[in-house]
Amino acid sequence: MNKTLVATIILAVVVGVFHYVLFPIFTPKGFSWVLNQYVYFLILVLSIVAYNLILKLKPAMAWRGGVVWLTGLYFYKFILYPPVPWTLLITYMMLWSIGTFLYISQDEDTFREFRAPLVKVVTGEYKFARIIVFTLMPLLVGFATYQSLIPKFAEPVELRTVHPAPPATTKVHGKTYGLEDLQNPYRVDEQDNYKDSFPFLDADKQEYMKFVTEGGTVFFQNCHYCHGDQLNGLGMFSHVFNPTPANFVDPGTIAMLRESFLFWRVSKGGPGLPNESTPWSSAMPPWEEHLTTEQIWKVILFEYWYTGWHPRTFDDESSVGE
Amino acid sequence: MLGKEHRKFKAIPWVLAAVLAVCFAGFAQNAFAKEAFAESVFAEEAFAKEVGAQEAEVAEGEGKPEVEWSQDVFYKDFEGNPLKGIVSGYPAPELGDSDYNRYDFAPSRMLLWMANQQHLYFGSFVLAVPIFCMVIEFIGVRTKESDPVLSAKYDKLAHDLMKVSLTAYSWTAILGGVLLFTFITLFPGFFKYMAGIFRPVMHVYALMFLAESGVLYVYYYGWDKMSADPFLKWIHVSLSVLLNLIGTVLMYLANSWATFMQAPGGIDEQGRFLGNIWHVIHSTLWNPVGVHRILGNIVFGGGIVGAYAAYHYLSAKNDEEKAHYDWMCYVAMFIAIFGLIPLPFAGYWLMKEVYAFRQQMGITLMGGIMAWLFIIQAVMIGLLFFGANSYLHNSMARVKGAHRYMKYCKYMVLLLIVTFTMWMTPHTIVMTPAELKAMGGAQHPVVGHFGVMSAKNTAVNLMITCTILCFTLYQKANKKIMVPWQTIGNCWIAAIFVWAALNIIFLGVYGYFLPANQRVGLSVPQVTSTLTTLFACTAINISMFKDSESYGDIQWGTLSKVGAYAIFLLAISFTWLMGLMGYIRSAVRLFWHVTEVVRDNSPDAYTLTIGEAGKMLTFNTLFVWVQFLVVFWVGSLTGKKKVEEARAPQGIPVPAQQQQ
Repeated sequence: MNKTLVATIILAVVVGVFHYVLFPIFTPKGFSWVLNQYVYFLILVLSIVAYNLILKLKPAMAWRGGVVWLTGLYFYKFILYPPVPWTLLITYMMLWSIGTFLYISQDEDTFREFRAPLVKVVTGEYKFARIIVFTLMPLLVGFATYQSLIPKFAEPVELRTVHPAPPATTKVHGKTYGLEDLQNPYRVDEQDNYKDSFPFLDADKQEYMKFVTEGGTVFFQNCHYCHGDQLNGLGMFSHVFNPTPANFVDPGTIAMLRESFLFWRVSKGGPGLPNESTPWSSAMPPWEEHLTTEQIWKVILFEYWYTGWHPRTFDDESSVGE
Repeated sequence: MLGKEHRKFKAIPWVLAAVLAVCFAGFAQNAFAKEAFAESVFAEEAFAKEVGAQEAEVAEGEGKPEVEWSQDVFYKDFEGNPLKGIVSGYPAPELGDSDYNRYDFAPSRMLLWMANQQHLYFGSFVLAVPIFCMVIEFIGVRTKESDPVLSAKYDKLAHDLMKVSLTAYSWTAILGGVLLFTFITLFPGFFKYMAGIFRPVMHVYALMFLAESGVLYVYYYGWDKMSADPFLKWIHVSLSVLLNLIGTVLMYLANSWATFMQAPGGIDEQGRFLGNIWHVIHSTLWNPVGVHRILGNIVFGGGIVGAYAAYHYLSAKNDEEKAHYDWMCYVAMFIAIFGLIPLPFAGYWLMKEVYAFRQQMGITLMGGIMAWLFIIQAVMIGLLFFGANSYLHNSMARVKGAHRYMKYCKYMVLLLIVTFTMWMTPHTIVMTPAELKAMGGAQHPVVGHFGVMSAKNTAVNLMITCTILCFTLYQKANKKIMVPWQTIGNCWIAAIFVWAALNIIFLGVYGYFLPANQRVGLSVPQVTSTLTTLFACTAINISMFKDSESYGDIQWGTLSKVGAYAIFLLAISFTWLMGLMGYIRSAVRLFWHVTEVVRDNSPDAYTLTIGEAGKMLTFNTLFVWVQFLVVFWVGSLTGKKKVEEARAPQGIPVPAQQQQ
């Protein structure tokens, strides 16, 4: 019996058993270091490699290429959780396809072996396969065309810039601030040692903690409804907004920004955003209308203290010509 | 020692030595500029104050002060206060409608972009080729005694490249003229201001161009004559060094205009020149842009030459031609990959300086309106590494003995894909509201961690390390190691790679727990780990080749078609990527001609959509490749004639030489 056919049959059985029997076992509701979908995937891949080696099947290169490609698709479609958006799935599969191509074209022999069945299909040596392929192809193209033209009612996606460039200056409560050199006035005591210390080390400094506490009070009175009581962007109102409120715990938000940036963002809110950041879709109010300048600075101080991030700073010497 | 006929050349080495000494002095000055600069600034300022005070006194006597002092927008003195200088120029103009001209068929900005990009593409090529020729000719001279046939082959390759470069050189000058006229005619107000500031630099630039042309012509037309005698051959090699030095100075001078526009210095807030031309030239981005461009030129030039060779390889009529162009592909790719490995690090340095200059500019680039272009850049860079590795894998297949290592290729591909996935996962994902709800927030709990710099640095370093590993295996492919310490040597190589990978990953993870300013510093040990694999493992590898036996010759002329097409992919990606990064760097000024000094008041002062920018970049890429085809065709006209002349009396082609 053809070894490639044997490999295909075994693969179908193994994947079927894994997907319908083992997958539910490996995906319990709670988190587990052992019983999770990534361990499951690893075992699945090792199993496929193992039975091919043990049975010395050595299926055709086209089969191997196909299985490698499908393995990637299976991972991104079923294993990676929560599911990634469609745009990211396309991107990842494009990369995986390139990788598969590199695998099959690593030398002349493997590439020739891979091409052989395709050439035979096109030239008619595999007559039955050619009939199927050339019958299905126009149908698939037709279906894809239909899918792309059918009216849809989903909200369109927007290329939104989450962290826009701030202006050089901003005017809050009648005073103009230059954002390039602006510092948080309530970080003064810690300023000298600030670059070399972690935030939690500052906790024993009473004056600092007083400002943090005041900032926390402001946060829980005004901000946590959207940004969440763990500052992870999952407040009680967050699910009705698009875009969702910022997740301060994420290393890609406040950890990458200077405090002056936050000062501008908080003061001006959604309406103060430039066009590339779609000010019309942000729900954040301009907090300068509700909070004092001091309160804004304190709430920023609290956000950094709570999340454990440091605001971005730069080496002084590299920013000026001396 | 010299024959009589050579005595007249006695003076040449002395003249060359003097010129070289002057150039090296210039470079040394550049290298130590930071240290020397502070002292010179202090002295200059003290001197200027003294002179200024004297002049003021004289002026006071006349009742009207003539000397005006102003503060530099960038430079600071020892105390951190803005440096003061005597106003020596006019304020930047407030540009109006009369300062901009336009044609009906296309916006002025697009025309200028096209003229600029075409000139830069060709400029990059003609600056890169002399670097190759210098290296290749040097290798040829060094191998003359051990392998005269190979030496002649290297010499011929360098000569052929120079021939193509010569045609491209004239083309570059013509495109430079087109660019200049485009500036003068379409942006007269802006150009007047720039010419006012850079007047002396522009004249020096023109003179350097003259010197470059002179040396280039002597270098090219004196090739055959100077090859006859070993001493003159060394002089000829020295001329290539001089040619490259002048070329580098030319490039740095031209860079100063662009870096001044992006991050000005040496002027006050009104745009008035403060009397020190070095301050204007040596603004904050000058050095990183210079280094980035030198490396970029090498990669771009290697890509162009590689594509040229790959085309000839695929269309070769006989085995001799195939072997020659296969070998040429290899040399070009070797040079391109050599430049590609450090290129991302130079890019990081440049971005760090941009961020340090203006937070606003850095955010616009990496997180703001240009961020999506950076995602595209990430894709293109990944393609470069895929192309380079694909070429190496396919090259290995034609080396006897490589079967020992070919089985590892698939694992290296897997590593590349995983790291590339990290490299290009965006921080902000484009998604529908339904997908956002399904994901439970704007950040994905798993892949969301790949959207920040710690992950990116780790990914790119692992990608480069993987490429270095692939190259290390390629070097060993047909060697049967005979040294008694081969096991220890191999263990060291393996240990260095494993240590480097672990170190890179550890530092990447550690970066998530550090403040941003400290996290940036982690990129240095990560890069050091990567470069250690390159230098240490290559050194160990080469040491192990002593007395090695060969499994067989490299089968030149048997490169697979996929390998040849990988070179095309590299060349086109380089071209497109170069255009993209140039556009990003330039467009980040947004509505300024000179950042915060000269505002762009033309109707074209807007940021293009990604689609429009992409179309323009693609057009520029296609356009320059059409021109390259023409230049190559022109260059081949003399070549064909010579080949026919040379072959006629012999009747049969000379068989290709095999290289170990």
